[in-house]
Amino acid sequence: MQPSTRAPKWAKGLNYDRGEAVIGIEHYVVVSSILFVLGVLGIFLNRKNVIVILMAIELILLSVNLNFVAFSAFLNDLVGQVFAMFILTVAAGEAAIGLAILVIFFRDRGTIAVDDVNRMKG
Amino acid sequence: MIHTIAFYIFAAMVIASGALVITARNPVHSVLWLILAFFNAAGLMVLVGAEFIAMLLVIVYVGAVAVLFLFVVMMLEIDFAEMRAGFVKYFPLGVLLALILVSEMILGIGAYSAGSMHLGTADGVGTPLMGESNIRSIGALLYGRYLFLFESAGLVLLVAMVGAIVLTHRERGTVRGHQNINKQVRRRPGDATVNTRPEVGKGIEL
Amino acid sequence: MTAFFESLGMNYEWAWFVATICGILLIALPLMLAVAMIIYVDRKIWAAMALRRGPNVVGPFGLLQSFADGLKVFLQETIIPSAANKGLFLIAPIITFTVALMAWAVMPFAEGAVLADINVGLLYILAISSLGVYGVVISGWASNSKYPFFSALRAAAQMISYEVSIGFILICVILWAGTNNLSDIVMAQKGAGLGIVNGFFFNILLFPMWVLFLISGMAETARAPFDLTEAESELVAGYQTEYSSMAFALFWLGEYANVLLMCALNTTLFFGGWLPPLDIGILYVVPGFIWWLLKTFFFFFVFSWVKATVPRFRYDQLMRLGWKIFLPMSLLFVVLVSGYLMLTRYG
Repeated sequence: MQPSTRAPKWAKGLNYDRGEAVIGIEHYVVVSSILFVLGVLGIFLNRKNVIVILMAIELILLSVNLNFVAFSAFLNDLVGQVFAMFILTVAAGEAAIGLAILVIFFRDRGTIAVDDVNRMKG
Repeated sequence: MIHTIAFYIFAAMVIASGALVITARNPVHSVLWLILAFFNAAGLMVLVGAEFIAMLLVIVYVGAVAVLFLFVVMMLEIDFAEMRAGFVKYFPLGVLLALILVSEMILGIGAYSAGSMHLGTADGVGTPLMGESNIRSIGALLYGRYLFLFESAGLVLLVAMVGAIVLTHRERGTVRGHQNINKQVRRRPGDATVNTRPEVGKGIEL
Repeated sequence: MTAFFESLGMNYEWAWFVATICGILLIALPLMLAVAMIIYVDRKIWAAMALRRGPNVVGPFGLLQSFADGLKVFLQETIIPSAANKGLFLIAPIITFTVALMAWAVMPFAEGAVLADINVGLLYILAISSLGVYGVVISGWASNSKYPFFSALRAAAQMISYEVSIGFILICVILWAGTNNLSDIVMAQKGAGLGIVNGFFFNILLFPMWVLFLISGMAETARAPFDLTEAESELVAGYQTEYSSMAFALFWLGEYANVLLMCALNTTLFFGGWLPPLDIGILYVVPGFIWWLLKTFFFFFVFSWVKATVPRFRYDQLMRLGWKIFLPMSLLFVVLVSGYLMLTRYG
């Protein structure tokens, strides 16, 4: 994504030599980091609730995806997007297996409190 | 200008949805906020020019993974209050962690803006094809240089699919009445109906 | 259209913005009118097939029937069950309706007459049909009532099952046309059948895919014979049971907008969209939009015809059809189509 060729009136003071546009890479890095922090916090705060933990993991993977795609666009290198596709694949597979495990856990124990998963017998 | 406004709207909504995912009381609400977060992240990716990945995000995450979450959350009966027990206890530690990460972020961005840090340069492997759309360039790269990775990603998905089915499969036993659907579908009107002509006042023997 | 607004002296970006808003209104408002009229047409067709008259009281030939129905529904009281989750209860029909309209952004109506000529048009449509599942699931869950909930889960499972085979059928079309852009797919169909017929349906590898797409489209939009989720005689109204007035109207309009979308996709992907049926010079005199309209209406007639004629599928028969028959067939045809293209075009 290249900055627009018509330099708008409100874009004074931008260093176009470094390839800066109004929305630069920093903006995307900030968004991605905040999402990452929210995901980690989610795991911290919802220790008992496995489903929210899984969702927080999906948030983390989303933030990483966003980061890869943003860098791929600003560096003009498509490898970032290809890797983001693979992350997507792995995230989908992991969500499926995680939820399957959760379902049989629930079938067995009747609850999804993972605080006291201290029995190996399945 | 529109681009900037769109970016800020999408970014604000992604962050708000992310925050609501982890703090919503009801897990179904959490899943719905997660869906909104995915959607807005896809919007951000479209803004940056990666429309293929954005559409893929919506199709795979929103269309499949989130539906999976939604089904599981709706079918399992979860005691909400008990689940939120540890929330207040771990809150200070969480805030500390968040502050550390935020300060690292500020340091990094400050260094980049001041010019002392440079983004790397691409090594020419993944340069988009000239004049071709995003999807064609990704296709050329994916099926060319990264073909093996692509195939193994397919295998990963196959293993995940088989694994999920094997884990959750229950043997129902042969007590259940076995319907032979092929036989039902093959039935012709001649086998199912019979034309008779009963006399007036007399019934039919079924 | 952007050029028109730019010529009025606006900044380029604002001109584009206003032009897009006008484009959206230009598509959405006639679409709403079309959906209202198509409900009337649907009822008239069923009536004709049953040797009845159909609506003929309100307005000349009963043309204002849909508007009378809309007025009735609009003036009803919106009842929200006390145990229902209010926010989600009201959002679900909004999602259904909005998503049904969103997909029309990429539909080419005539040469160059498309709101968003994006290079991932078909992927966008797939993404939008994935979103359509949510309106159904949320409505069932938010009603907080057993039968709507189960009906919603069944309807959602049905929709996602047929989305998978629709995905593979679309891959066959993408392989043959070489692009995801809907306008380019239409142009690729020019003379695709023996050099004369404009359309992918004429060639032997894609014809079965068209048949599968027609049937999967009916299953995806939960239209007869796959409409057991809203079978009036069986489940009350399935996931729509607790809904009244505007919310119900939104579901109803959303369903018909989806049906129109499937008909439009059938014409765009397999029958040449806005191209005339045969690649003969004189037929190009008729504007492309008229051809598109005729073909879409023909498909809607087929949808309606099937509903009036064929009995309903049972749920397990429906799932078996989707997973055990359509999916292997469409997978097989992906292999066949790519094999054929490797041998003839790219080999």
